[in-house]
Amino acid sequence: MGEVIVITSGKGGVGKTTTTANLGVGLALQGKKTVLIDTDIGLRNLDVVMGLENRIVYDLVDVVEGSCRVKQALIKDKRYDGLHLLPAAQTRDKNAVTPEQMEKLCDELKEEFDYVIIDCPAGIEQGFKNAIAGASRAFVVTTPEVSAVRDADRIIGLLEANDIRNPRLIVNRLRPDMVRRGDMMTIDDIIDILAIELIGVIPDDENIIVSTNRGEPAVADAKSAAGLAYRNITRRILGEDVPFVDLTAQENILTKMKKLFGFKPA
Amino acid sequence: MEASGVVFKGSTEGLSIIVPEEYTADQLITEVSGKIQANARFFRGARLKVTYHGIRLSADEEARLFKILDEQSGAVIESLNRSGTGAPPSAAMSASRRGQTPAPLRRFFTKGQDESDCKFIRTTVRGGTRIQYEGSVVVVGDVNPGAEIVAAGNVIVLGLLRGMVHAGAGGSRDAFISALKLKPTQLRIADLIARCPDDPDTPGVYPEIASVRDGMIVVNPLYERS
Ligand SMILES: Nc1ncnc2c1ncn2[C@@H]1O[C@H](COP(=O)(O)OP(=O)(O)O)[C@@H](O)[C@H]1O
Ligand SMILES: [Mg+2]
Repeated sequence: MGEVIVITSGKGGVGKTTTTANLGVGLALQGKKTVLIDTDIGLRNLDVVMGLENRIVYDLVDVVEGSCRVKQALIKDKRYDGLHLLPAAQTRDKNAVTPEQMEKLCDELKEEFDYVIIDCPAGIEQGFKNAIAGASRAFVVTTPEVSAVRDADRIIGLLEANDIRNPRLIVNRLRPDMVRRGDMMTIDDIIDILAIELIGVIPDDENIIVSTNRGEPAVADAKSAAGLAYRNITRRILGEDVPFVDLTAQENILTKMKKLFGFKPA
Repeated sequence: MEASGVVFKGSTEGLSIIVPEEYTADQLITEVSGKIQANARFFRGARLKVTYHGIRLSADEEARLFKILDEQSGAVIESLNRSGTGAPPSAAMSASRRGQTPAPLRRFFTKGQDESDCKFIRTTVRGGTRIQYEGSVVVVGDVNPGAEIVAAGNVIVLGLLRGMVHAGAGGSRDAFISALKLKPTQLRIADLIARCPDDPDTPGVYPEIASVRDGMIVVNPLYERS
């Protein structure tokens, strides 16, 4: 039986949708049958990030209302074997779905899929309650900013109150140069406050914006730094012990010189 | 930066501004403005009765001071008076607030701080959580920013305290707050309020205890080191 993981954060714009898309593709590339559910009803965009917008026929609300069967609403991603998307409804609101319906849906999907990844909307209201209802694990995404970390802390408390134990932390948009200058919170600062286990650190990477616009998640791009970070998280999900690379370590002289001469460091 | 001459003293009764005798109204207003901006988080959303001590202001100057407080603090300024004039703040406050405030914690437990019921919390108290208890509270873990602990008795944190703790909430100034690392956003004991003085980034390195001495919250190392 599969696992249901919710990607959540409290604060908006920190990278939940980006993370959902990348982990979905990452898991599919590892041969796992995966379905992504966009629960951001009314503000859907996982379909856009995945490049599947023009293939939507039915959505999450149609499924829970019984207007179609689950199978009919799942969009199969032809580029990645085993990857499916259940899009959110765009013209309804969060109250169109209840936590009980989500729980039932997740139970049904995990019979057939190895991983069910849920993209959670911002906030702590109905949309959040729906997103976590069927999940047994949670990844909390934050950026290295005080306000995002505060919200993550609140979310972790709410997850624990809803019996989702041991959420894992993803720190997104880390800027190693700023950390080195002391202008950005370090990973240790963040873990110190949140006191949960880290599962990945994603650097701030313009490839993300390019790939998001193209609808091709960066995890499939061998040259993207963020893509590598997402591949590492994927492997950690599958139980592999992948060491953490210290992104803020000082560059050595050689890489600096290569940069000066205009080479790309390997 | 030169030491500021104007002192703010907060309590649940309101805010007292203590002004050196030799200050002019302009000096006062400039310093108050600076202090308010530095402490915006402290004032936001509060309702304050403000008294000032040690200087006489003309009606015009008082109006300017009021304007600064009102516009910059983010608090609702209910009144501004020179100390010794106007209604005593405690009486005025309890009359105007009655019915709005949550039921006060029973004073029963606070008579003797040394013996009261105790609540133990064995997890991190996260932002958005409020713990209210009619006895003492012991947290085995951290208290994060945005969390609130309100206890009629004492509060002990076996971890890093970064949130808000109110001990002696039933009115007892004998209550104390102690933490392995004390870096609160705010501490309250009975009717007194204190903010963390220095920069909030460096956690305290040794256990500390906050208690009331001479009508003020003071923080001392838990173990006096030789
Ligand atoms: N690691 C990253 N580097 C650069 N930009 C990023 C990164 N992660 C996310 N972004 C950008 O941040 C924005 C918000 O991301 P999104 O995943 O939509 O957040 P959320 O779903 O939490 O609201 C998007 O424009 C996305 O391209
Ligand atoms: Mg999103």
